[in-house]
Amino acid sequence: MDREWNDNQPIYRQLRDRVVAMILDGVLKEGDPLPSVRNVAAESRVNPLTVLKGYQQLVDEGLVETRRGRGMFVNAGARNLLLQGERQKFLEEEWPRIHATIQRLGLKANDLLDTGAPPAQPSKEDR
Amino acid sequence: MNTLRHLIPVALLSLSVAAVAQSNAHHPADQPAPSDAQKSFTELKTLSGSWLGPVKVDPPMPEMGNKPTRITLRVTSRGNALVHEMKEDGAPEDPTKYDDPITMLYLENDKLFLTHYCDAGNRPRMLAKPSPDGKTIDFDFVDLSGSTKYGHMMHARFTVIDANHHLEDWTYMMPGDKPIHAHFDLQRAQ
Repeated sequence: MDREWNDNQPIYRQLRDRVVAMILDGVLKEGDPLPSVRNVAAESRVNPLTVLKGYQQLVDEGLVETRRGRGMFVNAGARNLLLQGERQKFLEEEWPRIHATIQRLGLKANDLLDTGAPPAQPSKEDR
Repeated sequence: MNTLRHLIPVALLSLSVAAVAQSNAHHPADQPAPSDAQKSFTELKTLSGSWLGPVKVDPPMPEMGNKPTRITLRVTSRGNALVHEMKEDGAPEDPTKYDDPITMLYLENDKLFLTHYCDAGNRPRMLAKPSPDGKTIDFDFVDLSGSTKYGHMMHARFTVIDANHHLEDWTYMMPGDKPIHAHFDLQRAQ
């Protein structure tokens, strides 16, 4: 995890998003342990309690679980849960705007499919 | 007779000095007795200095206790404020990166408040409750400026054990009202 932060949201939330990206990209697989709080704090140069808050957010979302005395691990089904959430977010927040643009420009499905859009990148997990 | 004439003023002066001293000892010049808030603030000021100790968190995270946290308290602004800072011991100074929180404690209208400057981007204000034993000072959430979207600090407690030992308990409320509790067991650092 690099340690560049933006000012738009708290660092703990950005740490949460980085772990989410690692799960979606297959860097962290189901059952894998999360990087230790102390290591992330040292590498990212943030307060360990900030890291803990980021991890606790993931627990609250059902993406990771705490195993007593051992640390935190990616839950089974975490990637699917995230994909569902991201797809839902796309359909609710982004698609209406894109759909309106398509309608406005009179584009047909074939126009979109024939534009030579770059092929979807398979995730590391799918390779 | 001459000697007596010299001794009388000296004796009177001594008596008046003793009387003033006694008066100051029992009745500080026209000052009302300190309030609970003032007594608590004075007690907290005795914690000025640098402290080291492990932190335990709930929900539990065993590795959190592996490395001590350093807490510093500093009286500032001519005694009107106490600055509290919390960071991992040994972390290098980096003012552009650090998210270590700062808390200011101060009296306002004879009430003891703290304002916590949180990395979540908000500033909750908490009010001290009267301390039954003078050693345990609880701060309850009053209000905050900034957003609550990412949660906020909700409660703080300082427990003075002795001049070289105190405890701190901080409760952060995550979104969805899920608390994270951190307990610090701190010894005065040399």
